[in-house]
Amino acid sequence: MSERSERGHHPAEPSAAERRVAAIESLLVEKGLLTSDVVDAVVETYERDVGPLNGAKVVARAWVDPDYRDRLLADGTAAIGELGFGGAEGEHIVVLENTPAVHNVVVCTLCSCYPWPVLGLPPRWYKSFAYRARLVREPRAVLAEFGTTVPDDVEVAVWDSSAEARYLVLPERPAGTEGLSEDELVPLVTRDHMIGVVR
Amino acid sequence: MTGVPRDIPRSNGELVFAAPWESRAFGLTAAYLAGRDEDWGRFRRLLMDAIAEAPPDTPYYEAWLTALERLLAGDGVLVTAP
Repeated sequence: MSERSERGHHPAEPSAAERRVAAIESLLVEKGLLTSDVVDAVVETYERDVGPLNGAKVVARAWVDPDYRDRLLADGTAAIGELGFGGAEGEHIVVLENTPAVHNVVVCTLCSCYPWPVLGLPPRWYKSFAYRARLVREPRAVLAEFGTTVPDDVEVAVWDSSAEARYLVLPERPAGTEGLSEDELVPLVTRDHMIGVVR
Repeated sequence: MTGVPRDIPRSNGELVFAAPWESRAFGLTAAYLAGRDEDWGRFRRLLMDAIAEAPPDTPYYEAWLTALERLLAGDGVLVTAP
C-alpha cells in the first residue's frame, strides 16, 4: 500500500475516513437528498449555538423559581421548552435533582444518548469505552478521577440514558449564592455539573 | 487528579469535533434525516450496533460513519460494492 506509506510525506492526503465522508456527501448532493449548505448550517448550529449554556439557564431558573423547578422535575421536556429549547434528542428529557442525600450522574452505556437541546453534543470522554464501561461498575472511582469526591453517606445514583430518557442533572444551588440573580447564577453551572461528574 | 486514564479527558469547553470529517459525518447524518423528516431512532440503533461490534479503542466517529453507511445502504441510496 504505497498510498498509505506516503501519507507522512503528504499531509494533504486524505485519510480513509475523510474519503468515506467526502464520498457520502458527493453522493447525497448528486442525488439531490441534501445540499452542502444545509450540512454547513447544521454543523454551525451544533458548534456555536446549541450547548451547555442552554442547560445552565434551565438550572438557574429552577434555582430561583420553585414553581418552575417543580414543573421541570415533573416534565423536563415541557419545562425546558418554556425557555425556548427543544428539538432533536430532546423529546424525553428527565431531570434528576441532586439532594444532600443523593448525587446523580449520567452515562449512556450502549452509545452516546445525550440531551442535545440543553447540553449540545456530548464531549469525547462521554462517548469513550472507558467511561461507558466503568461508570456503572465503579462510579465513585470514576468521579474521583474528575476530582469529585462524594461523601460516603451520600448515595451515588447512576442513570443509563436511552431513547426513552435523556437525563439532565439539576445540581444543588451552591451555598452563599442567596444574593445572586438568575443571570448571575448561570455562569456557575457547567456542563460537567449537569452530567453529574462534578458536584 | 492522578491516575486518570488518557481516554477519559475531562476538560470543559473542548471542541465538540476532533476533526473536520467528524463534524461533516455528523452534519450529513442530521441533514439526511431532516430531509426525510425522520427522527434519530433508526440511526441510533445502527450506531449502537456499530459501537458494540467494533474494538473498544475504535474512534467514536469511525463507528458513526459505519452506521451512516448502513443507514444509506438500507435506504438503497448507497450501493455497497459487490
